[in-house]
Amino acid sequence: MDITWKIGGEAGFGIMTTGLAFSKIVSRLGYQIFDYVEYPSLIRGGHNAYEVHVSHENVSHLKPEVDVLVCLNKETYTKHQSSLTKKSYVIYDEQEFTVDGDFVKINVPFKKILADLKGQMIMKNTIALGASLSVLGAEIDELIKILEDQFSKKGEAIVNFNKNFANAGYDHIKNNYSKKVLKFLTKRESSPSLVMTGNDAFSLGSVIADSRFYCAYPMTPSSTILTTMASWAEKVGLVVRHAEDEIAAINTAIGASFTGVRASVGTSGGGFALMVESLSFAGVTEIPIVVFIAQRPGPATGMPTWTEQGDLLFAVHAGHGEFQKIVLSASDIEEMIEVTAEAYNLAEVYQMPVIVMSDMYLSEGHKSITKKFIDDFITNYKVNHGKLLKEITNGKSQITNEDQNSNNKTKNYLRYKITEDGVSPRLIPGTPGHYYQANSYEHLEDGHTTEEAQPRLNQVNKRARKWDTYLKIDFKPPKVYGDLDKAEVVFVSWGSNKGAVIEAQKQLKDKTNTAFINFTHLYPLNKKIILPFFKENKKYILVENNSWGQFGKLLLQETGIEIKEKILRYDGRTITPEYIIKNFKF
Amino acid sequence: MEERLRRNILLKILNFKLKIMSSIQDFTGYSPTWCSGCGDHGIGIAIKQALVQMNLTPSDLAVVFGIGCSGNMNDFLNAYAIHSLHGRALPNAIGIKLTNHRLPVIAVVGDGDCYGEGGNHFIHACRGNHDIKVLVHDNGVYGLTTGQSAPTAKQGYKSKSTPSGIIEIPINPLTLAISSGATFVAQSFAGDPAHMIQTIKAAMNHKGFALVNVLQPCVTFNKINTYQYYLQRVYKLGGDYKKDDFESAMIKSLEVNKEKFPLGIIYQVQKLSYHDHLPQIKSEALVAKNRFIEFDKITKDFI
Repeated sequence: MDITWKIGGEAGFGIMTTGLAFSKIVSRLGYQIFDYVEYPSLIRGGHNAYEVHVSHENVSHLKPEVDVLVCLNKETYTKHQSSLTKKSYVIYDEQEFTVDGDFVKINVPFKKILADLKGQMIMKNTIALGASLSVLGAEIDELIKILEDQFSKKGEAIVNFNKNFANAGYDHIKNNYSKKVLKFLTKRESSPSLVMTGNDAFSLGSVIADSRFYCAYPMTPSSTILTTMASWAEKVGLVVRHAEDEIAAINTAIGASFTGVRASVGTSGGGFALMVESLSFAGVTEIPIVVFIAQRPGPATGMPTWTEQGDLLFAVHAGHGEFQKIVLSASDIEEMIEVTAEAYNLAEVYQMPVIVMSDMYLSEGHKSITKKFIDDFITNYKVNHGKLLKEITNGKSQITNEDQNSNNKTKNYLRYKITEDGVSPRLIPGTPGHYYQANSYEHLEDGHTTEEAQPRLNQVNKRARKWDTYLKIDFKPPKVYGDLDKAEVVFVSWGSNKGAVIEAQKQLKDKTNTAFINFTHLYPLNKKIILPFFKENKKYILVENNSWGQFGKLLLQETGIEIKEKILRYDGRTITPEYIIKNFKF
Repeated sequence: MEERLRRNILLKILNFKLKIMSSIQDFTGYSPTWCSGCGDHGIGIAIKQALVQMNLTPSDLAVVFGIGCSGNMNDFLNAYAIHSLHGRALPNAIGIKLTNHRLPVIAVVGDGDCYGEGGNHFIHACRGNHDIKVLVHDNGVYGLTTGQSAPTAKQGYKSKSTPSGIIEIPINPLTLAISSGATFVAQSFAGDPAHMIQTIKAAMNHKGFALVNVLQPCVTFNKINTYQYYLQRVYKLGGDYKKDDFESAMIKSLEVNKEKFPLGIIYQVQKLSYHDHLPQIKSEALVAKNRFIEFDKITKDFI
């Protein structure tokens, strides 16, 4: 059994905090969650809604029906009544507005409770949480704990004051609707879970990967990485800079990475557009950098708080000149941790920019993941600095003959040494007895500027070989869900659509045999590895959250595979299982 | 214990001797390709001389070069270096400083580079009092792109990009820096190597953001701001000049608008640098720290 709980109210009155508190409480009770926020690009005055899909099992999609709708204002009811069924519970205050329709009406006198207990508007949320837990048959303990954690710094009186509102909501249901109480959220035995967004996962993945420097300019929906990293800075030992603009952000990170520290930047499409010049700079200087892009609908300012996958081709082709980069994407929270940590290794091993693609839906929605997953991942993850000459002392001991220049002019070290795999050893600046320059001009092996034809060819070819090496060693094929051999219909997608596609597969089970090919390593693509996934006599359907079918174009460009059937969505909303099924043509 | 002490002292002496051994030659890379008579020659020599006098070796510092004639020093000066993009040297320099604050960090940039393309970075580097030394070659023109007018060009200056004379008034780098929060603001002249060496050393020894705006004749494209022009208009600040007073420094810096060019330290105050405010790198540079592994300290926030 699974249910969806949704709360809505005016922007600026704590809906986000309340929704997250609900997700955490439910997770602590032993359930899995997947949540999503809807909000306009306003601080006050708009409508906010927070939806939590609760299940006994791992869940990573939204469902169309809302089972419990908490209406803190009339607009919540008006906007979301279409997702109600006869069995849905609607929590509202009869004193403020009336609702009519065939569903279970739960009247909670928010206004009266606030007046009786002398509370402020924002405490409506606490009453709502108490009432919600009561309706769903949960104990109130975890809510009380959350309030204690939140307010303990302000003293016991404040803690108790807030508890009163939780209890008032909780008891009101017990006293008036005891027969209607659902027996859903009884505490279950389960291993501890964490409730995280995609942005949280990128932040955690960065720390696991020993990334120590983050620089950004705020831009929805990437901003919470900046705020999370900043809040960890002193505890973890990170330096986080809120720069004057995105150009400064990426250039500060490039400077940081030059010194040997793992560094990253995060932004959305518009901010990334400003970074592009320097992506090319990182490409030719071969300075590792991780760039996180949380996509939102463009062009230009677009729809800042909604979702889309419209920047894939931009990311793939970003930058002037021909240089190497790797583009990865994550499909869910667990994968975001894995892909992020992998991105830092790839950036250092191949000394090139690595872009991690997310979107608003993945970046800002929470999902529960087990603590065990994280612990196991940390145990198994190895930081790989690639060819980094770190331990050089007095210049001689660790630099091999291979790294030496025969005419000895550059004190033995060649930053851009021609190698078979294209990767040249890096040296930490400050190492005594040496020096080198990371040069944005085309350069010789020792870093000096050149305009000669042959050295130019040598360096272009050297850099190109890094891609060959990557495709041979570190490119990962797409993951397949379902049985590709038996399938008649095969969905092809990437990024946050995964949860919806897998749920659609389940719902289509009786109608047809489906498989799902999901890509994480988006660019460059290894044609040889990918071709076998595309067989004759099967119907392939591209599923993307954009209007061009951008990954389809990329696949065609890189492998010659053309997927003619497409399910695309570009109204700012995410792909849902229902959307796939509705647009699915047999 | 005593043995170790003796060894340490010995090492220090040895180290000192090694450092003394650094020479102009150590810093000398390729031969400069600047025009004959270009002010950049003097600046290049002054930088090397200052570094040698400070007992630094090319391995001891990081230099970020912008793009322009000034930035072309990348091939002529040996050091750990980034030859950056046009306008972006300052954020690169800040990134280096924040991750390895034990390294002295210099940015060698031009006026178009630093006050035009990178103008926003300049203001914010001043604001942050980032501990970087910014040496600006201020010649009023874009030399490398054959002589278009730069942000410091005098109003009315005729160039290929402003054939009827530039409409905008010039940027005053000194006033801009002082008002933006720079804690060391100096001006020097490419025709006075001794003054440049002295000023660059003072900038290097300053803790915090330092600007050295070097008035630099471009003999090929700028026929107004010549050596003669500057020789008639520069003067050295006297020993009685109070460099730590914000308001008098602002007034002093405004003399540039009247084509009077004070040379020396216009403004200097002691304040904490940006990185001094970060307790996480108080004992060690970020690059030298041990890896953080107490992951439960952050995962607990998500339960």
